[in-house]
Amino acid sequence: MNADAKKSLVLNGSAIVFVALAGAFLLDLWGRPVATVPIVPVAPDFTNTATVRLSAAELVRTGGDASGLDCYVCHEKGKTPVIHFGTNNLVILPKEHEDLVMRHGRNDRNDNCYNCHDADNLDMLKTRDGHKSKITESSRLCGSCHGPTYRDWEVGIHGRTSGFWDRQRGAMVRQDCTSCHDPHSPAFPAMKPGPRPNQLHPEKDVAENGKETH
Amino acid sequence: MSDHNCNCGGNGSRHCAPGNGKMDRRSFLRKSTVLASGIAAIAASLAPLRELTDLGSVDEFLQKHYKELSPAEMEKALERIRKEVERQYGIRPHLRDLKPMDGVEFVYCLNLTRCIGCRKCVHACVAENNQSRSPEIQYIRVLKMPNGTFDMEKGDHNYAPETVPEKGFFYMPVQCHQCKNPPCVKVCPVDATWQEADGITVIDYDWCIGCRYCEAACPYFARRFNFATPSVPKEQINSDMAYLGNRPRHKGVMEKCHFCIQRTREGKYPACLEVCPTGARKFGNILDPDSEVSYILKNKRVFVLKEEVGTLPRFFYYFDV
Ligand code: HEC
Ligand code: HEC
Ligand code: HEC
Ligand code: HEC
Repeated sequence: MNADAKKSLVLNGSAIVFVALAGAFLLDLWGRPVATVPIVPVAPDFTNTATVRLSAAELVRTGGDASGLDCYVCHEKGKTPVIHFGTNNLVILPKEHEDLVMRHGRNDRNDNCYNCHDADNLDMLKTRDGHKSKITESSRLCGSCHGPTYRDWEVGIHGRTSGFWDRQRGAMVRQDCTSCHDPHSPAFPAMKPGPRPNQLHPEKDVAENGKETH
Repeated sequence: MSDHNCNCGGNGSRHCAPGNGKMDRRSFLRKSTVLASGIAAIAASLAPLRELTDLGSVDEFLQKHYKELSPAEMEKALERIRKEVERQYGIRPHLRDLKPMDGVEFVYCLNLTRCIGCRKCVHACVAENNQSRSPEIQYIRVLKMPNGTFDMEKGDHNYAPETVPEKGFFYMPVQCHQCKNPPCVKVCPVDATWQEADGITVIDYDWCIGCRYCEAACPYFARRFNFATPSVPKEQINSDMAYLGNRPRHKGVMEKCHFCIQRTREGKYPACLEVCPTGARKFGNILDPDSEVSYILKNKRVFVLKEEVGTLPRFFYYFDV
C-alpha cells in the first residue's frame, strides 16, 4: 500500500466515523435515560388545615345542620330522660342515639350522660361541680376533669392555636377540645398517612426491600 | 496530474510545485468532508445544550450580594423576579423582601407524644413553599422510630401503613433546625447562606453556586438540591412570596426550610403548624416570655437532636408527662 492510498483510507475512515458519531449524538444513543418516576399529585386532604372533627361550636358557626343539637325536638321539657345501664354497667343507648359511640377513657366508663349534660336542661352542659355552659362551649367542661391538659390548652400547648403568633398583628384561634376529640369517644382517631417520599432509585428500593437511604 | 490542473488558483508551476501537489481537488474535498463531519460530530455532541432554557438573565448575573443591595436595587431585583414568575407561571406574585422583626428570635418546639406521623406537614410545606413536585423536593422528613431508641439509623421515612399511628413506634419529623451555630453557613464558600437576626438561616438563590458543601455539612439532612429544573404546576403556585423564602428556584441551587419567612415575618404561624391535626407543633418568639415556646422551654423537658455536635438548634423536641 502506498502512502497515498493509506492517507485516503484514514481520511475516508475518519469521515465515516465522524458522521456516525454525529448521528449517534443527535439520536442520543448512549445518553443515560433518566429514570423518572411519575409522581402522583398529592390529594388536597393532606394540605387542608381543617381539624379532624367538626365541633358543635364550629357547626353552628359555619351554619351547618345543627338539628342534632336541639334536644327538645324529641325530648320533653322538664322531663329528665332516664339512663339505662346494662348488666355490665355500660350504658344502653336508645335507637335515636345509636350514632353515639360511648368510649370515654380506658374502660369506657365515663358514659353517664349527666357527667357532662345538664339533667334539668339538656341543651346545656354541666360540670360535676355545677358550672353550666352552652353545648357549644365545652372546653371548660373537659377542663373540669382534665385539669393539667386544660392548663396546657389555655397557654396554647395542648391542641392547636392557629392564626398569628404575633398577637399585635392579628388574631389567633384556639381550637376547642371537641374539634379534635369526640366527647363521647375522645381517643384521637387514627389517620391515613400522606404519601411517602418518592424514591430516587425505584429499582434499588425494591431490591433492598423499602430500605432506601438517600 | 498536470501542473496546470492544480487547484491553487495561481498559474504556472511556481504555485504548485509538482513535488508537493497534494492539495488537488480530490484531496481538498476529502479533507473538508472529514473536517465538516468532525465539526458536525462536535456540534451534535453539544446537543444537550439546546435543553438549557433556564439560564439566568444578565441582570441576575450582575446583581450584587443580598446584603449590599440598596433599596432601589432590591426593588429592581424583585421586579425582575416578578416578571420571571409572570412569564413562567402566568400570575403576578405578591413578592417582597421581608426583614427580621426587632426583638424576635424564632424557636420551634415539637411534641413527640402528639405526633402521629400523618405527613400533613410535609405536603402543606411543599404547597406553601413552591417546592418542585417532580423531581420531588420536601423539606420535612418524618422518621418512624421504634419506641425506646433515639438511634436515627433505625428511623424509617418510607413507612406506608393503612393508618397511623402504629403500635410500638413514635414519629419524629425532621426539618431545618435553624442552628445558632450552623455548620452549613460556615462551609459556604460564597456567603450565599447566612443566619439572620431572628435566627432563620436563609439562602439567596441568586447567589448560590450549587457546590452542595452545606448539604454535606448539615447533620440533620435538612438541605435539598435542585438537581433538575424544578416543576410546579401553574395552578398550584403560591403567589405569596418572599425573596429569601418561597420564590421559585432555578436548577442547581440549594434550598431548605426557612420557617416560612413569607408567613412568620408577618406574624403568622408556619404552614406545617397550621396544618398539623394533632397540635404537636409549636412556634413562636423565644424573646417574648409569654409566648407558647417560652412556656414549653420553661416547663417541659425539651431536648435537641445530636446535641453533641454543638450546632445549638432552635428546634426542640419534647415528650409530655
Ligand atoms: C332524634 C330525637 C332526639 C334528639 C334530637 C335527642 N334525643 Fe335524647 N333520646 C331520644 C330518645 C327517643 C331517647 C329514649 C327515650 C327517652 O329516654 O326519653 C333518648 C334518650 C336520651 C337520654 C337517656 C339515655 C338512655 O340511656 O336511654 C339522654 C341522656 C339523652 N337522650 C340526651 C339527649 C341530649 C343531651 C340531646 C341533645 C344534645 C338529645 N338527647 C337529643 C331522642 C332524641
Ligand atoms: C367527668 C369527668 C370527665 C369529663 C367531664 C371529661 N373527661 Fe375525658 N376522661 C375522663 C376519664 C375518667 C378518663 C379516663 C382516664 C384513663 O383512662 O386513664 C378520660 C379520658 C380522656 C381522654 C383519653 C382517651 C384515651 O383513650 O386515651 C381524652 C382524650 C379525654 N378524656 C378528653 C376529654 C374531652 C375532650 C372532654 C370534654 C368534652 C372530656 N374528656 C371530659 C373523665 C372526664
Ligand atoms: C364527657 C362528657 C360527655 C358525656 C359523658 C356525654 N356527653 Fe353528650 N356531648 C358532650 C359534649 C361536650 C357535646 C357537644 C359536642 C361537640 O361539641 O361536638 C355533646 C353532644 C351530645 C349530643 C349532640 C351532638 C352529637 O354528637 O350527636 C347528644 C345527642 C349527646 N351528647 C348525647 C349524649 C348521651 C345520650 C350521653 C350518655 C349516653 C352523653 N351524651 C354523654 C359531652 C358528653
Ligand atoms: C388540635 C387537636 C387537639 C385539641 C384542640 C385538643 N387535643 Fe387533646 N389530644 C390531642 C392529641 C393528638 C392527643 C394524643 C392522643 C393520642 O395519642 O391518642 C390528645 C390527648 C389528650 C388526652 C389524653 C392524655 C394525653 O395527654 O395524652 C386528654 C385527656 C386530652 N387530650 C384532653 C384535651 C382537652 C381537655 C382539650 C381541650 C381543653 C383538648 N384535649 C384539646 C389533640 C387535641
